[in-house]
Amino acid sequence: MSATQLFLEYMLKASKYGLILLSIAILVRCIRSLLREAYEPETWAYIRTGDGRLPVNHWEVILGRSPSADVRIDKKGVSRVHAVLARNDHGIWQIYDIFARSGVWVNGERVGDRGIRVNDKDVINLGGVNVRFQEVSLERREKLEEKRSAPGRLTSPAVTLLELTLFQLFLLLQHAMSADPENLPEIALGFASLAIMQWSGYNAMRVIGRSGFEVETLAFYLSSLGMSVAASSTPDDMYKQILLTLAGVVLFLLMGWWLRSLDRTEATRLPVAALALMLLAVNAVFSDVILGARNWLIIGGFSFQPSELVKVAYVYVGAATLERLFREKNLYSFIAFSAMCVLALALIGDFGTALVFFVCFLVISFMRSGSIATVILAISGAIIAALLAVSVRPYIGSRFSVWGHVWEDVYDKGYQQTRAMSAAAAGGLFGKGGGAGWLKDIVAGNTDMVFAVICEEQGLIIALCMCMAVLTLAFFAIRSARTGRSSYYAIAACAAMTMLLTQLALNVFGSLDILPFTGVTFPFVSRGGSSLLSCWMMMAYIKGADNRRDASFAVRPGERIRNAPPPEEEADEEDDE
Amino acid sequence: MKKITRRAFSVLLLALLVIVGLTSYVLRYIDHGEDWALYFNRLNSGSSGELLDRNGIVLAAFSANENRYAEDALTRTANYHVTGDYWGRTGTGILSTYWNKMQGFSLLTGTTRSTVGTTRLFIDAGLNNTAYAGLDGRPGCVLVTNYKTGELVCMVSTPAVDPADPNAEPAPGAYINRALSSAFVPGSIFKLITAAAAIETLPNLAERRFYCEGSTFIGGVEIHCSGEHYTQTFEQALANSCNVAFAKIATLVGQDKLVEYVRAFGFLDRHALGDIPTAAGSFPLDFVGDPELGWAGIGQSTDTVNPYAMLRYVSAIANGGILVEPTMVNTGKEPVKSRFLSSDTAEKLKEMMAYNVSYAYDGDFRFTGLKLCAKTGTAELGGGLTSHAWFVGFLDDEEHPYAFVVLVENGGGGLSVASPIAERVLRHCMRME
Repeated sequence: MSATQLFLEYMLKASKYGLILLSIAILVRCIRSLLREAYEPETWAYIRTGDGRLPVNHWEVILGRSPSADVRIDKKGVSRVHAVLARNDHGIWQIYDIFARSGVWVNGERVGDRGIRVNDKDVINLGGVNVRFQEVSLERREKLEEKRSAPGRLTSPAVTLLELTLFQLFLLLQHAMSADPENLPEIALGFASLAIMQWSGYNAMRVIGRSGFEVETLAFYLSSLGMSVAASSTPDDMYKQILLTLAGVVLFLLMGWWLRSLDRTEATRLPVAALALMLLAVNAVFSDVILGARNWLIIGGFSFQPSELVKVAYVYVGAATLERLFREKNLYSFIAFSAMCVLALALIGDFGTALVFFVCFLVISFMRSGSIATVILAISGAIIAALLAVSVRPYIGSRFSVWGHVWEDVYDKGYQQTRAMSAAAAGGLFGKGGGAGWLKDIVAGNTDMVFAVICEEQGLIIALCMCMAVLTLAFFAIRSARTGRSSYYAIAACAAMTMLLTQLALNVFGSLDILPFTGVTFPFVSRGGSSLLSCWMMMAYIKGADNRRDASFAVRPGERIRNAPPPEEEADEEDDE
Repeated sequence: MKKITRRAFSVLLLALLVIVGLTSYVLRYIDHGEDWALYFNRLNSGSSGELLDRNGIVLAAFSANENRYAEDALTRTANYHVTGDYWGRTGTGILSTYWNKMQGFSLLTGTTRSTVGTTRLFIDAGLNNTAYAGLDGRPGCVLVTNYKTGELVCMVSTPAVDPADPNAEPAPGAYINRALSSAFVPGSIFKLITAAAAIETLPNLAERRFYCEGSTFIGGVEIHCSGEHYTQTFEQALANSCNVAFAKIATLVGQDKLVEYVRAFGFLDRHALGDIPTAAGSFPLDFVGDPELGWAGIGQSTDTVNPYAMLRYVSAIANGGILVEPTMVNTGKEPVKSRFLSSDTAEKLKEMMAYNVSYAYDGDFRFTGLKLCAKTGTAELGGGLTSHAWFVGFLDDEEHPYAFVVLVENGGGGLSVASPIAERVLRHCMRME
């Protein structure tokens, strides 16, 4: 063996352990920053009672006597959940009566169904208890903002990003050893493009004064593994992966920018719902059957799954603001919309995605209604529907028949699962190295069995880190609900992560015979165009809910949002940055 | 918003389910990872390892990048049926049957080894070369085991293949290991089994005399002999390999009893050399009547014997009736021992086999310096086919405790064709260690 060969051999070995150490370091840094650091809520106004002042920490708050009220006024006459006070993009506050027995008055005027505008120093009467509404001035808010902690104090995002860049370099090194030299320039371009995208993204954030980059870092971490899968399985098609990642990042930025305005977002929910249903209808009529599901449109060489975009739309439509939740008590229109989505997917045979939508529906409807009865009802309904489906189309049932017995049918129904499990186990904890596995060459290896491909090539530790990255994003979505401005963003972030988590569960556990095999993609890592786009767009919802000080480009900085002008001179232009 | 914050924890439930699922996978991986990983073993390419003979000669070496065999063509070909090949063309080679274990699996590294995994055989590649040269292009097989330790030092089957030669055009049947996977008409070597049954069932055997005038009639059917042996003792009858005497003995023992012995010695069963299954032999089990039983008792009729089963038998006789099960792969484990036949019977058979060599095989001249105990076999096939030549036995030698089986298919006479090969192989054995 020549000296260079020996050197490369050692580099390969070093890269294996390097990748694991970097994975853990990146994860730990992101977890510390996202989940361990304390972040304080913003303060938008105060409610003055006789005993002192209570802060209004969100754009939507519940006033009432209940401990679950955001502004708790524990006085006789006040209902448990009495009123909702909500603020819009323009700084205009409205108060809504939430079926309080004793009524709500602002400056002596009774609040009806549609709410009444509340201005600074207005007196609100809640069932005989008078409180005063006091806005926080812009100067005061600037001072308050300075007291809040911003991300990046303990863990510098640049260092994490540097680790990620090194991670990508090691991946490239591994592929350089195993790939056909002909494909090497494209593979190098793939990893380089990721590095360029993440650093330009980071710099752009710095320029606009944002310091939260953990969500993007985790997304780029997962995308790097996705790029590695693409380099192993379809090295001739690298440019597609590059273009799709780029498109995903662009859509993520656009979407994040769009979400900055709650009014704009709220106002476009109906058209988006209509568009989503149209997409599904077009899909059901014109699509091609690939791998058992009729869920593909082929446009200009790109195979495209409309249901992936509908996922994003579903979250967009499903999330709602607090006052809307109380004004429209029922969920009927949302249930109808959900049923149409799930049915359309079931009709085209994409049961995995239908299940993803259904679980997301459960979470959204629970977050909106708080009713466990609704959830149980929905689950029972779904079970009946599933039983019906199995009796009408027995082949659906046959997928389940092999579940738990895949090793008894290695050459037919258990073909994919057994190979996935075998390859995954063969990788051990440290893997064989990028491009050195064989599972990638099995049909749908790089999509439906991608967890096992990563296990085989990068080892179990990195595969678990990959799951942990998605889990971290989910935990962060849950955590940001506490300080969120609007329930819309909180629900959207949680719904988006529900979709990704369900996808993860179906992908990982389906290929490992823990759940039935449904053929769903792993977020960011599975090779596949439209799913990459939708995952990036889902990240925008998390950025929208990320309310830490100066953290997210999808959230307007609190100290720069002007209060509403006095009621006489209504301003109709939008705020500028 | 507090309400929404609380409800957001429903997502936590999902996250917990994911964590439970991942944990259950990790636990199942710890339990079953090895089975899973090695199931599609032919596809694995991450491991590296090598297969060595007892002296460290490389028979095969493999890594992610290349699969190699022994360096010289003779060693490759002579050891083909031991080694096998990477494509699994012969199902009984180590590279097929032992591949999983050679791949090596650990929970930490999967099938990816950072160090070379070595598999050592008890086989002496050089001895195999000698046996292969002795067979000299004729189809057949040679087996030699150390009957005290169970170390299988020689296993050759011909015709064989050079696995490294992509243009090799193998002879018909070259992928079959005759020593393990076939059973042949045994002829006179079967008399060792009939003899054991006689020793234990016939009273006054020492006083009995057997008269042979070249042929005899049993139930109106003629059984012919290789010569006219006249009056013989039991020992002389075996040394003369007298068909007349042993056909008579078989009828005296009776079919039921004889079947019992054939079965007890394992000639009707499939055995396993490590993980490699061997072929079963055959013997008339349904009632056949005395004439046919006579033929069966001298190794004709429908008798067939698997060479490996015969090796176990002679090896047990050599070791005082205790069989040390032959092993090919050096795993460091204690050999498996079992009582195969009584020590008295074993001793008696050993004496008779020694007597064969000195009295009938011209031992002092042919096998000078070898403490040989043996039995020849010339199995008649009928239909104008040349007989199978057998020579089986062992060295009654503390220093060189080797038992052997030599078969030349359609080779001719056992003494003239098979015994010279055995002699050559045993002389090589005498030089070992």
